[in-house]
Amino acid sequence: MKGFFGEFGGQFVAETLIPALDQLEEAFERFKNDESFISELNHLLNTYAGRPTPVYFARNLSNMYRTKVYLKREDLLHTGAHKINNTLGQGLLAKKIGKKRVIAETGAGQHGVATATVAALLGLECTIYMGKIDAERQEINVRRMRLLGAEVKVVDEGSRTLKDAVSAALRDWIKNVETTHYVLGSALGPHPFPTIVAYFQSVIGMETRKFFEKEIKSYPDYIIACVGGGSNSIGIFKGFLDIESVNLIGVEAGGMSSRLGEHAMSINHGRLGIFQGSLSFVVQRDDGQIAPVHSISAGLDYAGIGPEHAYLHSTGRVKYLSVNDDEAMKGFYTLTKYEGILPALESSHALGYFIKNYEDFKNKTIVILLSGRGDKDMGIVAEYEKNRGL
Amino acid sequence: MKGAYILADYPYRDLFIREFEYLCRSKVDFIEVGLPFNDPVADGPIIAKASNEVAEKGYNIDDIADIIQCNNGKKIYIMTYSNIIYNYGLERFSKRFESILDGVIVADLPNIGHEFFIKKGFSIPIIPFATPESREKDLKKLNGFNGGFVYFIGIRGITGGEVDFRSENIKIKYNEIKSFTDKKVIIGFGVKSVDDVSTILSYADGFVIGTEIVKRQDDFEEFKRYVDKIYL
Ligand SMILES: Cc1ncc(COP(=O)(O)O)c(C=O)c1O
Repeated sequence: MKGFFGEFGGQFVAETLIPALDQLEEAFERFKNDESFISELNHLLNTYAGRPTPVYFARNLSNMYRTKVYLKREDLLHTGAHKINNTLGQGLLAKKIGKKRVIAETGAGQHGVATATVAALLGLECTIYMGKIDAERQEINVRRMRLLGAEVKVVDEGSRTLKDAVSAALRDWIKNVETTHYVLGSALGPHPFPTIVAYFQSVIGMETRKFFEKEIKSYPDYIIACVGGGSNSIGIFKGFLDIESVNLIGVEAGGMSSRLGEHAMSINHGRLGIFQGSLSFVVQRDDGQIAPVHSISAGLDYAGIGPEHAYLHSTGRVKYLSVNDDEAMKGFYTLTKYEGILPALESSHALGYFIKNYEDFKNKTIVILLSGRGDKDMGIVAEYEKNRGL
Repeated sequence: MKGAYILADYPYRDLFIREFEYLCRSKVDFIEVGLPFNDPVADGPIIAKASNEVAEKGYNIDDIADIIQCNNGKKIYIMTYSNIIYNYGLERFSKRFESILDGVIVADLPNIGHEFFIKKGFSIPIIPFATPESREKDLKKLNGFNGGFVYFIGIRGITGGEVDFRSENIKIKYNEIKSFTDKKVIIGFGVKSVDDVSTILSYADGFVIGTEIVKRQDDFEEFKRYVDKIYL
């Protein structure tokens, strides 16, 4: 079996999908080195999505915490998150292999919106699967997707969140594999998806590295990113894996507690398992059933994590830590109030980790990846405040 | 070869046991026992819902091992998902089930994945799949697998879908598969009626029925009637 990072990864999928995965791998290997493909993609990234995104020196935050904080601003991209880097890449790839329809799963709705957007742009049919709970808590994104012409199928089975949306998308793909490309939204699933998604997201790391090489003339001491499936984090980590002085930190969703069912910490509180296409860390029960997970942010509310992260954890190159819902909310409020930037609740986990542990970062240079903006989260924030009488 | 799939512990332990025993005494040639998993990506709504229900309550694999023995030479297979076996332990599962099973069918373990299981100590035969998407290079490898037959997923889809077993496409693919392997090739996914069964048996080595059986597992009388009607 192909596609292992150390002992993690693989292609644990129905036999029916193997030829499609092979075809995708071949296409990816061909086009990632194809000049016209790359220039088309770069053109869209620059003129349509809004790349390169700035690396912003957060002066107020830096003064407050006596450190140098830079924010990589993926929140400024078209559609509001890093997800568009991947959907533009995979959308173009789908066209190259002659697929007329794309499908995707979505949790927070950001990947669904980014896929629906690219489908509209490239003239592809589009179906998005979204768990019922997510569709309710990220309702604005459901409306956006429908306006963009996508069919949104609300998944009302299992835990009614991202896990079930992925399964529903996989079932659709098994049925319609001839005409349909599955635009997986994070660096997970069966090979070659983890590699493809990381490749299209690595632009985040490349730009950040270039900024530090050109403008600052030294590298940051720390990079902090939130980890759901792992696409924004792997994207920035890829730019710095070879520079040992740069400490890489992935922040998992600690949810309400470390009790099963109340968090989404695959590495910190999961075990090795085979889930949705690959062998990696999984939040599961003792009997191997996938456990329910919780995070205040829909985009981190997932029982698995991409296999390359499992590998980077096993080698020790990246440290995987966590913050809970309240700590993430603190990150959210702090950035909003002191920098005038409303971060996505996913990205707020990276901010929350920094704020909670700011003593560790004194006089250091750190980069926090703002993977998306928080407009989509207004409903959740309002409910959070209501529940706490704020 | 006429096969029946039954979901372990569905709708509850006692009824499952009675139904399993009924299958043991029936004209069924082989029984596939499904070990429920709560992310059943290859299953349609009926088996998926039933699997989720049992998984939610939880079940003990060792109990199931004690139950699923016929003592009359019928072949028994486990059908499940990778994580159920992986989590129990690939070697441990092999030891526990080796004397009971003729093989396993693992819905999210493609043929190229068998070696991964085997290298990690899995020693029960694994049934390989053929699908409408199978390429010549896939079919050429079928003889090399240790599983006793080939499971032909006759449709592009999940369990419980609609299929016309008279269609030329299926027959052509079936014959193509047969031309590459000496193993028996069994058709699964979407088999429903007496008519489906007689159509399939006119050109194929056998079939297995899942969704239509699981659908009736919560009503023993219905279950028996269906089994008696299909397996003559
Ligand atoms: C803004 C934002 N950040 C992060 C994530 C988490 O995903 P990943 O770990 O793949 O970056 C999401 C997922 O929906 C998201 O919308």
